[in-house]
Amino acid sequence: MSRSETQSDTYSESHVILTSVRILAPFTLTYGLFLALHGTDTPGGSFQGGAIIGVTVLMLAFAFGIEPTRRWLKNSFITGLVTGGVVIFAATGLATIALGGAFLEFDAFTDAFGLSHHWGMEAIEVGGVALIVSGVVVTLFFAMAAGFTPERYNAVQEDGAEVSDDD
Amino acid sequence: MSVLAYTLAIFILLTAIATALFRDVLSAIVVFGAYSLGMAILYTFLLAPDVAMTEAAISAGVTTILLLLTISRTTRPSTDRIFERVNVPAVVVVGAFVTVLGTLVLPEMYAVGDQTAPIWGWPGLDISPSVYYLENTVADTHAHNAVSAVLASYRGFDTFGEAIVIFAAAIAVLIVLKREVFT
Repeated sequence: MSRSETQSDTYSESHVILTSVRILAPFTLTYGLFLALHGTDTPGGSFQGGAIIGVTVLMLAFAFGIEPTRRWLKNSFITGLVTGGVVIFAATGLATIALGGAFLEFDAFTDAFGLSHHWGMEAIEVGGVALIVSGVVVTLFFAMAAGFTPERYNAVQEDGAEVSDDD
Repeated sequence: MSVLAYTLAIFILLTAIATALFRDVLSAIVVFGAYSLGMAILYTFLLAPDVAMTEAAISAGVTTILLLLTISRTTRPSTDRIFERVNVPAVVVVGAFVTVLGTLVLPEMYAVGDQTAPIWGWPGLDISPSVYYLENTVADTHAHNAVSAVLASYRGFDTFGEAIVIFAAAIAVLIVLKREVFT
């Protein structure tokens, strides 16, 4: 099966799918954010929340087509999510060392700024793990969808040409 | 465990066997998704909602989507047979493994909620780690979810390593596919 055929397969014009995704997407996004932001007090957590936030994008891609979603999502945004998560996580850990504690010893924040231990956990859960997981889920999806095409802009251009090349 | 939990266990067993036996890959992926959802519900029966959510989101959700995406790029061989031919040597090996596990290992395991299980402590130990976490989480971390407290606070460095592993996995996929963009 050629590349252009595959893409027309995954692009659905079914009204049922489009409508249900339109209705469901705000709820899944809210639920993902709830799990991530409220994970320290209720079941769930940033890993689950981040995964559900990522899945919301996957759902949109399934309904509205992978290529339009890929163009809508800026690469710098996903790069920022994934690397930003790692940087925030590491920075939180190093900050506690700078304040005289051990790596990720949040009580150092309490001594220095009077912040509850709780906020250190929120920082690495919401600012670290949730960002990394949601970014990586989206990355895996688009990387799998693209396969062995080097760059997305070239890939988009090739698609137009490929339609006539295939027969 | 209730009747519902046993029904669920049988459902999981059947979907697991169906996943192995279906010849059509699409059917196998669909029953595998059903298997993951069954596992997620079983985890809630075992009072592990955090694990259940992970199973539902990652295994039933993301994995199914990634597998579907992968087979949409392949061809589907047309066939009349619904089930794969059973590979007898493989069944013998797996059957022997399951028999050994079922007869020798399972009877030695502690029942769910057994108060004499080592997780509640063992001779010579003042307080077991699990009991310590359950008793001191709120005082130590001001968080009410003990699982989150263990992951983010008590075992924060391990979680840092796991986050880096996920990050490395994304980078590795991009390197294998020779791509330089995340989307």
